[in-house]
Amino acid sequence: MARDALVQEARELLAAMENALLEIEAEGASPDAINAIFRAAHTIKGSAGLFAFDRIVGFTHIVESVLDRVRNGTQPLDEPLMALLLECSDYIAALVDAIEARREDIEPDPERRARLEDALNALLGAGAAPKAPVAVATAAPEAAGQVEVEGGESVSSDNWHLSLRFSPDVLRHGMDPMSFLRYLGTLGRIVHIVTLPDAMPPAEEFDAESCYLGFEIDFASEVDRQTIEGVFEFVREDSDIRILPPHGKVAEYISLIGALPEPAGRLGEILVKGGALTQAELEQVLAHQAAEPVPAKPIGTLLVEREVVPQAVVAAALTKQKQGEEKRAQEQKFIKVEVNKLDALIDLVGELVIAGAATNLLARKQKDPQFEEVSQALSTLVEQIRDAALTLRMVPIGEVFQRFPRVVRDISRELGKEIQLVVTGADTELDKSMVEKLSDPLMHIVRNAMDHGIESTAARVDAGKPAGGTLRLNAYHESGSIVIEVSDDGKGLDRERILKKGIERGLVQPDQVLSDSEVFRLIFEAGFSTAETVTNLSGRGVGMDVVRKNIEALRGEVEILSRAGQGTTVRIRLPLTLAIIDGFQVMVGESTFVIPLELVVECIDVGGHDTRHNIVKLRGEPLPFVRLRELFDLPPATGVRESLVVVQYGQHRAGVVVDRLMGEFQAVIKPLGLLFNQVRGISGSTILGDGRVALILDVPNLVQRASRAQAALAWQGQATSMPEQTGGNS
Amino acid sequence: MSNANLPTQGGATALAERGASRQYLTFTLGGELFAMPIEQIREIIEFGGMTEIPLMPGFLRGVINMRGAVVPVIDLAVRFGRERTEIARRTCIVIIELEQEGQMLLLGVLVDAVNEVLTVEPGQVEPRPAFGARIRAEFIEGMINLDQRFVIALDIRLVLSVDELATLIGMAAETGATAGE
Repeated sequence: MARDALVQEARELLAAMENALLEIEAEGASPDAINAIFRAAHTIKGSAGLFAFDRIVGFTHIVESVLDRVRNGTQPLDEPLMALLLECSDYIAALVDAIEARREDIEPDPERRARLEDALNALLGAGAAPKAPVAVATAAPEAAGQVEVEGGESVSSDNWHLSLRFSPDVLRHGMDPMSFLRYLGTLGRIVHIVTLPDAMPPAEEFDAESCYLGFEIDFASEVDRQTIEGVFEFVREDSDIRILPPHGKVAEYISLIGALPEPAGRLGEILVKGGALTQAELEQVLAHQAAEPVPAKPIGTLLVEREVVPQAVVAAALTKQKQGEEKRAQEQKFIKVEVNKLDALIDLVGELVIAGAATNLLARKQKDPQFEEVSQALSTLVEQIRDAALTLRMVPIGEVFQRFPRVVRDISRELGKEIQLVVTGADTELDKSMVEKLSDPLMHIVRNAMDHGIESTAARVDAGKPAGGTLRLNAYHESGSIVIEVSDDGKGLDRERILKKGIERGLVQPDQVLSDSEVFRLIFEAGFSTAETVTNLSGRGVGMDVVRKNIEALRGEVEILSRAGQGTTVRIRLPLTLAIIDGFQVMVGESTFVIPLELVVECIDVGGHDTRHNIVKLRGEPLPFVRLRELFDLPPATGVRESLVVVQYGQHRAGVVVDRLMGEFQAVIKPLGLLFNQVRGISGSTILGDGRVALILDVPNLVQRASRAQAALAWQGQATSMPEQTGGNS
Repeated sequence: MSNANLPTQGGATALAERGASRQYLTFTLGGELFAMPIEQIREIIEFGGMTEIPLMPGFLRGVINMRGAVVPVIDLAVRFGRERTEIARRTCIVIIELEQEGQMLLLGVLVDAVNEVLTVEPGQVEPRPAFGARIRAEFIEGMINLDQRFVIALDIRLVLSVDELATLIGMAAETGATAGE
């Protein structure tokens, strides 16, 4: 495992740990969540141990010890401990960062570490006094009652019998057999326990780090087999753990005694003493054994037998095992690939698409049917390769969302507000390259919503709202875009105040009539802030303009919906990919433009339509449109039969009038670069089959312009009776 | 490519201090001879058509495809406040590599013709005149003394200042956009 893989794994585990902690905070402790935390800390420690990253091993070890006490119920998981654990996970993250930066020899913050370790050690010291174990969970005891005993006589004991032979390496793996027994103790009552020191070597060969002990345990409990097996989950792989149910078959005891390394007579004694077997039953077992001697079997057969036994005994255990296998199989379906390699692949696919287009063009010119056929087949393949390559980069947006539960928790505490986070659509996929760039803008919007959107508890109660505010993160796909929404149920934006401020700052004329969304859009202007108090979090007037810039740099768009008293939604719309799209090629005069095909609804012939005021009636509905020739100030043409391409972006439709429709093709998006950052109406460029550069139209911008022109017209229409022809730049 | 840029930092001052000879490409623009240091020049290509971008200021003639990269082309003559360069048989595009905000940026410069590469001794370069030149003084790195005549050596970083160009383009796009509505 490379160092990078370790870092990545550790980060994923830390995220899981944080999620589990937050889940506990929200919904109370559950054994699953506690186990998840323990497992995360444990695995991080184990992996770091492989590389001898001692700083992280040492620290996680203490965390793990505390977690172990939580798991076995001797340490309550209260609020201060939750906070401490969260802070510990932060510190582990800092240690992981140090590993990534190859500075693992330097302690990131020795003071903080000392403080955290003191706090943890204090708990370990205080918790040492034995406490009455608290039952963490009592899973439905159905399985225990329904043990199917198949063949052979059953023994009379009401108790489970557990034979544990821990792997010699168990201590080196950072596990203490005692902790498993303590945890087991929380699930029921240990009736009888015998420690078997038989594996202990002579003193001179004794290795202090090896575990030589085995245990025979009789255990009274109502829990099912799955739960008991779960106790030993972390050691199951290399230790020998055998669990016999109450009223187990005689035959099982026979195979148990046969399989264990200790002499049969001695084991028999233990079983009788513990009450697992009566003397008579033992004699029966031993008689069987004598008749059919079981020599020391190779470990392989033992394992097979162990697999066979539960199959016959408990169906539930089988299901559990199967689930485990499925999970493992699923894990194997992933391989980790360096992002650079993927990017290089996508670049190459881009070149392939361009070269393919050139070949196609040539084939059509040559008018050689065979050549055309071959190049067509090639194009189809290229298209498939392109799609496959692009999906490689798609990741669920959950990757971005997962950091927010913690953020919301921390900020709501800082602000003294009660805020609940609801995340939906975390499976929605988007391009990996966008994930990284989306994180900061989203963070800003979320902070803003919590700080300014959601009111204080008192104000909410006064307004008759629930005391706790709700913040929603949602994502979904819509016509070739991914939409991400951050909504709060707070007080909404203050339209009047924003407008006033906009007028003060000269962004709006006092007599200008603006729609709500136009007013709200003002908050994206640089230095625009209406916050009354400048808090630590936001309101300093930097931010929303940066958010807009970041989103626009991703060829996306931000929109604000708000209702006074009911809340605000910030809606971000982004293209699905930044690399290659299906394009629709159009021409105006000699210039070629490309429209992303996903945004094209239909094409109609303009001739014969009434096109006054740049509005055309389409099936009874007015559709605003723009003429590219006018918009881009291209040389006028005569005698062309114009076509209108209907495009849709979000909820809005508009028409784009062009001279000629050229058809679909695959377009590799080439950004126009720094020089053209402020150009509107064009979002990028692409290279055509003949090597020329074509410009990609910025459909969102065109739609917005068309609608704005329509709105202005409607308003003018109210003011004066009928305006003159608009839309020309004559 | 990128290491070729290193020696040019500091422009004229570096030139004077280093005391080593330096190479310049000379080219004609509107009948006048200019020079620019070769360090930032990546290649010179023959003019072979380009794609115009609507609503751009006059100095931005369009973009070309250079082996898959889309490169903007600047008309130096317009940048110097003269008539736009007419495309003719010898018209060339000089591809220049600039570093901007940590990224390498390629820009094409449209010229009437390229002439030769000169090796210039430090003594041959004189400081720019305070006045009298027909282009903005800050664009001039120095005057190269060639026997009987002076050739203006351009400070290409200032001539092609990305910030300034982007601002001009943004302004043109804004006015164009309002005009279009």
